[in-house]
Amino acid sequence: MKAELNSRERVLRLFRKEEIDRLPVFSGLGNITVTGLNKCGLRFVDIHADARKMAQAAATTFQVFGFECAVVPFDFGVEPEALGCEVNFYPQRDDVVYPTIKQHLAEHIEDLKVEVPADLARAGRIPVVAEAIRLLKKEVGKDIAVGAVILGPYTLAGQITNPGNMAKLAYKKPALVHKLLDILDEVEIETARIYREAGADYITIHEMAAGGDILSPSMFRTVVRPHLERIIAAVPSPRVLHICGDTDGITEQMAICGADAISVEQKNHLAESRKKVGPDVHIYGNIDTYSLMVKGKPEDVDSAVKQAIADGVNAVWPGCDLWPTATKENMEALVAATRKYGKL
Amino acid sequence: MATEERTKEILKGLQDAVINFDEDKVRELCHAAINEGVDPYVATMDGLAAGMLEVGEMYNKKEYFVPEMLMCADALYAGLDILKPAIVASGRKAKVSGTVVIGVVEGDVHDIGKNLIKMMFDVAGWNVYDLGKDVPLEKFVEEQLKTGSDIVAMSAMMTTSMLGMPKAIEMIRAKNPKCRIMLGGAPINLDVAKKYGADGYAESAGTAVDEAMKLIEMLRKEEAAAE
Repeated sequence: MKAELNSRERVLRLFRKEEIDRLPVFSGLGNITVTGLNKCGLRFVDIHADARKMAQAAATTFQVFGFECAVVPFDFGVEPEALGCEVNFYPQRDDVVYPTIKQHLAEHIEDLKVEVPADLARAGRIPVVAEAIRLLKKEVGKDIAVGAVILGPYTLAGQITNPGNMAKLAYKKPALVHKLLDILDEVEIETARIYREAGADYITIHEMAAGGDILSPSMFRTVVRPHLERIIAAVPSPRVLHICGDTDGITEQMAICGADAISVEQKNHLAESRKKVGPDVHIYGNIDTYSLMVKGKPEDVDSAVKQAIADGVNAVWPGCDLWPTATKENMEALVAATRKYGKL
Repeated sequence: MATEERTKEILKGLQDAVINFDEDKVRELCHAAINEGVDPYVATMDGLAAGMLEVGEMYNKKEYFVPEMLMCADALYAGLDILKPAIVASGRKAKVSGTVVIGVVEGDVHDIGKNLIKMMFDVAGWNVYDLGKDVPLEKFVEEQLKTGSDIVAMSAMMTTSMLGMPKAIEMIRAKNPKCRIMLGGAPINLDVAKKYGADGYAESAGTAVDEAMKLIEMLRKEEAAAE
């Protein structure tokens, strides 16, 4: 029997494709739970702009359930805010409502002038996230790997300008879209650098707006992929590329982008994807974050984990941001099932 | 008056022009329809809207994606701008039409899907009150009361935002039990819509108006029975 690794070592060895004792259960995306927040008396609305609370919240999924990572930030407004967008945190709501962007910088790319702050490390909440990473490294960094999320450039573009207008322009005048994405690539490369410098062990590039429900595979190839390739080449390993929705049509392209692993949700037909990309490409994900983790029963979670492993995932990993109201029982089942079925 | 054959040609041309997102062609054929005496309501429904239904099918079959669909929508609106005044001038009334309050629920700023559904209501000649995106739940209730709308249509693109819907439905029902409620959006399915207590579910832009018409016919029957 192989010696049991600690969670941090298991995850880092996985990324390096070294021998491990069993598959880890972790994520590169948001994975906080209401159970965890309640345990330390945190309100959802308060954890996005305060480094201490952000770090505290991020550590709870490990502390309460043994989920093998801590990841920040939780919302998609960090880079847009650093570029000048105002963020709505919904202070009046007591339930879980994720922050959103109040207004685009411009509705049309033709009118958009992106002014990148000279020092992104001090812009908006980027320093808050960096500080949360430092705190996590200090407090749980020996036990688990600490991850950070950056937006993919196409997703970021859709936050600072009207995504519908951009989608049409990507078809009609792709050069204009590329010009904007070129600027945003640099923003994301620098954001990743700041997070790594703060101590993040791995970076996930969350390109949710470029999935197969939105763009054709050919547009993904011509408009989105060159930018993802550029960012991935500039950010040191390990980094994971995540895209939500139906990614069956772009799985191979995702793999070509060059990340250490690709992350997909349950709409991706995993067994097929495994055949398409071969045995060496790491695929994480496939665990349904709402219908299964919130609405399902522990026995459903058990069989979903078993199936995901049989279909060829390299890590048990929620297919998108874990929905915070995932039940305590389902979280426990997720971790237990990985231990049960994930032995190597 | 256009011959039956010419009418068919214009209608087919309008469908194709919407599908090929050819705005100029749509305008040209709309003017032709009016000049040659094709009923502008027929041109709207059997030309523009029929083309858009095909576009919806093409999206489902992954032949078209969001950018293509949005360009088709622009082409449809280019035609609607020309045909709508002609419909008003003709005094022609849509078969079943009504009033709808539509919006994307609070916490969600994704309005592409909502805008496509809104467009189909526009096409069908409904009065549409568009609340936009990130709409506080109370605003749906207020606007419904203010307009006396037959239907409230709520959309959510994120799982994270759809959870406010049952609360909004409850609030609307408390104020006006007769109002019909439709839900739509990526994380919503028939099951969720039912569980949340909605009357209808808009699977796509193509079926949204049909669904709304069904709800309204039921509503009118109930009203007639009560009188």
